[in-house]
Amino acid sequence: MSTTTEHRKRDIFVEGAIPPSFVAESVAKHATRTDIGAHEIFLGQVRSDAIVGADDRPTVTTVSAIEYTAYRDMANEQMIAIREEAFARWPEMTCLHVHHSQGVVKAGELCFMVFASASHRQQAREAVAYVTDEVKKRLPIFGKEILSDTTHVWKRNL
Amino acid sequence: MDVLLFGIIAERAGSASISVEAVSIQELQQELITRIPGMQALSYTVAVDRIAVYEDRVLRGTEEIAILPPFAGG
Repeated sequence: MSTTTEHRKRDIFVEGAIPPSFVAESVAKHATRTDIGAHEIFLGQVRSDAIVGADDRPTVTTVSAIEYTAYRDMANEQMIAIREEAFARWPEMTCLHVHHSQGVVKAGELCFMVFASASHRQQAREAVAYVTDEVKKRLPIFGKEILSDTTHVWKRNL
Repeated sequence: MDVLLFGIIAERAGSASISVEAVSIQELQQELITRIPGMQALSYTVAVDRIAVYEDRVLRGTEEIAILPPFAGG
């Protein structure tokens, strides 16, 4: 973990689900940063939505997994822009880590993590809310919802 | 030019890219409707050099063009 303010350019994508242990390890890595007083974390989990009659199917099926694909170069460029906006708007934020799955993530597993640290909670909270919303809006990530009957539908953010 | 396709559009085209001759975004869109089944009913955004573009413009043929269905991250 860098000890300087992080504006690092990197790939946010990880293969498959984000393990809960990764979240704990991410927190642990900040123990040496004693200027931090608050961590705020958003975790996205794949929800087993009921899909009623999609594609003319009369029966109810449920989402068993989402297969994520992305236009990675554009997504990472958009993430750099969002990161810079967040650091400009919340200057007390010391770290911002964003990870998103690609590939198959089963219902109940984690697919998205936004983790901000700051000296005080307000800046970390606001930054996480902003970054989470902007990632959903601006990053070209696509989700194929794989249903319990092995068919699929394409997810879209509202 | 090779146009990158994603999500439902790649699925409909049966490929992650498609070779198209077009001198403008409007011409590109017409070509996609002709070539990809059900394209007219799909919503999408065109990205030129990894930036979303919402108006017609001239294409030189050297740009990185991508056709992006609705986003579903998070």
